[in-house]
Amino acid sequence: MVRRPGGVIGVAMVGLLVGVGLIGPTVAPRDPFAIDGPSLASPSGTYPFGTDPLGRDVWSGVLHGARTSLLVAVTVALLVLAVGTAVGMAAGYRAGWVDDILMRITEFAQVLPRFFLAIVVIALFGPGLDRLIVVLGLTSWPLLARVVRAELLSLREREFVEAARADGAGTMRIVVRELLPNALAPALVVLGLVVAQVLLIEASLAFLGLGDPNAVSWGYLANQGQRVLRVAWWPAVFPGLAIVIAVLGCNLVADALNDALGARR
Amino acid sequence: MGRSSGGAIVISMVLLLAACGDGGGGDGPGGDSAAGEGGTLVAAISSDPEGLNPAITTSGGTHAASELMFSGLVELDADGEPTPELAESWEITDDGATYTFTLRSGVTWHDGEPFTAADVKYTFEEVLLDLHSRTAASVGNNIESIEAPDDQTVVFSFAQPYAPLLQQLDVTEAPILPSHIYEGTDPMENPANQAPIGTGPFEFVSYDPGSEVRMERFDDYFKEELPHLDEVVLRVIADEASQLSALEAGEVDWLFGAPGPERERLISDPAFDTLETQINPGGSNCIMTVSFNLDRPMFGDLDTRRALGHALDREQFVERVLFGAGRVAEAPISSGIGFAHADDIELPAYDTDEAEALLEEAGWVREGDGTRTAQGVTGVEDGTPLAFDFLHFPTFSQYAELFRAQLAEVGAEVTLQPLEPPVFAETVFTERAFDTNIISYCNGADPEIGVRRMYDSDNIRPVPFTNAAGYSNPEVDALFVEAATTLDPDARGDLYGQIQEQVAEDLPYLWVVETESTRVFDADCQDFSPSGHFAETASCG
Amino acid sequence: MTRRYVLIRLAQVPLTCAGIVLVGFLLVHLAPGDPVLALAGDSGDAEYYARVRADFGLDEPFLVQLATYAGNLVGGDLGTSYTQGRPALDVIAERLPATLLLTSTALVLSTVVGIGLGVAAASRAHGARDLALGAASLGLYAAPVFLVGQLAILGLALGLGWFPVQGMTTARSGATGLAGFGDVVHHLALPALVLASQEIAAITRLTRTGLLEELGRDHIRTARAKGVSERAVLIRHALRRALLPVTTVIGGRVGHLVAGTIVVEAVFGWPGIGRLLVSSVQARDMPIILGVFLLIALAVVVANLLTDLTYAWLDPRIRYR
Repeated sequence: MVRRPGGVIGVAMVGLLVGVGLIGPTVAPRDPFAIDGPSLASPSGTYPFGTDPLGRDVWSGVLHGARTSLLVAVTVALLVLAVGTAVGMAAGYRAGWVDDILMRITEFAQVLPRFFLAIVVIALFGPGLDRLIVVLGLTSWPLLARVVRAELLSLREREFVEAARADGAGTMRIVVRELLPNALAPALVVLGLVVAQVLLIEASLAFLGLGDPNAVSWGYLANQGQRVLRVAWWPAVFPGLAIVIAVLGCNLVADALNDALGARR
Repeated sequence: MGRSSGGAIVISMVLLLAACGDGGGGDGPGGDSAAGEGGTLVAAISSDPEGLNPAITTSGGTHAASELMFSGLVELDADGEPTPELAESWEITDDGATYTFTLRSGVTWHDGEPFTAADVKYTFEEVLLDLHSRTAASVGNNIESIEAPDDQTVVFSFAQPYAPLLQQLDVTEAPILPSHIYEGTDPMENPANQAPIGTGPFEFVSYDPGSEVRMERFDDYFKEELPHLDEVVLRVIADEASQLSALEAGEVDWLFGAPGPERERLISDPAFDTLETQINPGGSNCIMTVSFNLDRPMFGDLDTRRALGHALDREQFVERVLFGAGRVAEAPISSGIGFAHADDIELPAYDTDEAEALLEEAGWVREGDGTRTAQGVTGVEDGTPLAFDFLHFPTFSQYAELFRAQLAEVGAEVTLQPLEPPVFAETVFTERAFDTNIISYCNGADPEIGVRRMYDSDNIRPVPFTNAAGYSNPEVDALFVEAATTLDPDARGDLYGQIQEQVAEDLPYLWVVETESTRVFDADCQDFSPSGHFAETASCG
Repeated sequence: MTRRYVLIRLAQVPLTCAGIVLVGFLLVHLAPGDPVLALAGDSGDAEYYARVRADFGLDEPFLVQLATYAGNLVGGDLGTSYTQGRPALDVIAERLPATLLLTSTALVLSTVVGIGLGVAAASRAHGARDLALGAASLGLYAAPVFLVGQLAILGLALGLGWFPVQGMTTARSGATGLAGFGDVVHHLALPALVLASQEIAAITRLTRTGLLEELGRDHIRTARAKGVSERAVLIRHALRRALLPVTTVIGGRVGHLVAGTIVVEAVFGWPGIGRLLVSSVQARDMPIILGVFLLIALAVVVANLLTDLTYAWLDPRIRYR
């Protein structure tokens, strides 16, 4: 996958996200919450990303925010991957009543509009990353499950599966050896989209004033900045760029993986 | 910015010309009698009004959108003094317990029916004293009877002297409804709440929920020659920055508030004019106030509260949160209530050394730059960190961010908890599940309206925006009773002075800043007022 | 695709809705906070609050409230809005057309433009056009909607003056008829484009991915070998099957579009249910929250139903029981 330029860039971006997420807070020059400089100082040597209206260092904020954003994205992604793949494979391969029940549950989880649910939960129970992760994790998997299932429904009629079945291969074996690799490509593409969505939803919630103000995340910073966007671009645009880079990275890596897997087939 | 506001002026002039053309050509009698002077005013409001009856709610959104269509018995001038509106004159008996109002004659409702004393009696008895929470809680708790002996006379009788009545009869606190529309119906469900009939300067045209309210000049308005405008459109634009963009693009002419960071620029920009005021649709003379939950052992000690007071750099709040639209609060009662505000009170000044020394003394010790922990603090287990929550409305997040940063300097760790108003009110006043919070306590035109509830020990109760600190001092309670039944303003002022001295010593609250609001409008429009009838005398073009 | 299947799918709709109602109702009721405070405003007294509570039936037990609500729902009654004192259905219905206009415009825009760009990108994979489209769609897909919206307003509306900065109509004109329609379209353009931007990017990506995958398959190679034109290969042989994942995604994205609407309506001051929802959540106006919740869910249920049917039409090898 790293032979493709998109893949290289994507890996670099995701690497940057992970790297900054791991060490960012320790190398940040200042406490991102402390009133450190003048109000709305433009980017300079002292404040590479400028300061916000209260006089806080945006650069330190972006460094700290990487860890929060990484944590949220990874946790939600793991939840989604686990639930979505399991449900999708079971439904797509087993068909019959298993498919029926699983798809009704998937459908139900899918009609629960997750952004809306997140808004309601956070507005009712107060902001917090824990509940955000739970809501997003438990509502973001249906798309993955459906795509995996769709792929399987189509694949299981194909010759190579028929052939494996004719050879007397067991269900588990067929799913793992024959179907899983083939379903992985679209699943990973969707997962890339899901992680991207999680970062964007976190930012959108913050935009609506529903972020967690006690954890420095990029959404929190972008929200702090967006109210002064008309007079100062830096408090909103730098965290916004960080989001764009992270999301872009995930997408590029997913793309490259997809291409690579497609080529192998 | 210079380039884009230049463009904005051109656009707004073009639009204004177009608007005037439309208004003059098409609008029937309104356009004729006010030919050439009127025009259309488009004002931005920040939330959907969700109804246009200001008598059944204290919601700022409803009031901002509907007050132009209604009137009160009196209006309050720039100094908060009552002047005639629906009431032409009034007499108060020497004991201060009976108020007799003579109503203006020849006033008609927007549907042509005559306005009479029966409307006033009905509105108070059936609507205001039931459904308008502030008026119900203040006038409603003291009133004995309201009589209408004839069509032009209304008599308010109280069991005891009641000094602040006249401050509570303006269109915000007591808008008068037409009894011929409402009598015999449920006022909450009456269809007129969506298409109101009032006596105000403008009459209702249309209401498009979530989008706009349109009204036009009421030709039979009881104030001669008024209003000047042909048409007023209230446009719902939630976000302050979007409101300003709309103003610069010429899509609206009037904002109720200027976004902080751009306030200075707007004041100096010749394309716009501004108006500073203490009046907000939600109340006037507001002080941003931090409450300590006095039930918490951590805040039982006066030194700790005093230390936190010294840790606050209140100038920084004025500079970086308000961007100059307000001032440091010098006393517990707002400087906007001239007779009651004390000017010789000493509140804790910004001094982090003093703050740290006081905290050490109280037993909060600190190693390095970290959070302090208790060592021999009365009522607090040793080793407990000096960490507490801070509840606030989401709209007050900048105050909260700054509060947290300033207290971190002296070793206190503050966790922010933004809560929507209904949740905030229940958490603070019903469950009392908070350590500290910030509330915009609006003092109103008289301390009886908005100050007493903060300190009176009877007001430690599960009712929103009462005594959040849980402060109780029998002396202060007695002084409030005396002040409410004293009629002489000077004597009342003395009593409120004593109250302020005492509460400043006890420090149940930290009074941070008095907030002001900056109205911004297109320089082509003129003669606005800060009150609910902001566009009554205005004209555009 | 039998009639029986359609009937079964239709019969599931009310069941799903019942589940949705339960989830929403539970959530709102289990949350801390008291809706009475939204009604009564600040500084009322205790008796006053008690009276409001009784008037609105807020002191009934939970199950009674739920049963009442469900019963009324069957009769098309969503309850009475706490804040406005009138039927929630009326309140929602007033805001619905604006949101429908915005989301349906964005849905059509994103589907047509997204598939078109996806085909354009895949037809010369790894060429300059593909790279440019890929970079643009990735960038757009990666940018937060509110930031895109705000920058669009600052640049295209305020800076260049091409579009109005907010609202659905011009406040001053009160234009009707054709002029009024033109006015609405002018106001609609920018928010619809911003709302559609992420969807366009996503669908472009998916179409391209699907097409490339299909183009690598044996039957395509066979078709090419037979001398079928590249264009015909792309459209007739590959696109139909490549749209399979795209179709599942378009159905699922109706919910996402509605979510995007909440942000876009806030940025552009568009008077739809998104803004109604945000203000109702703040005021804890349960009938409105639940009504909007039900409505969005219903829209997604219908979208999924249509997706499944389209899906069967596109890939007839999938058999329904």
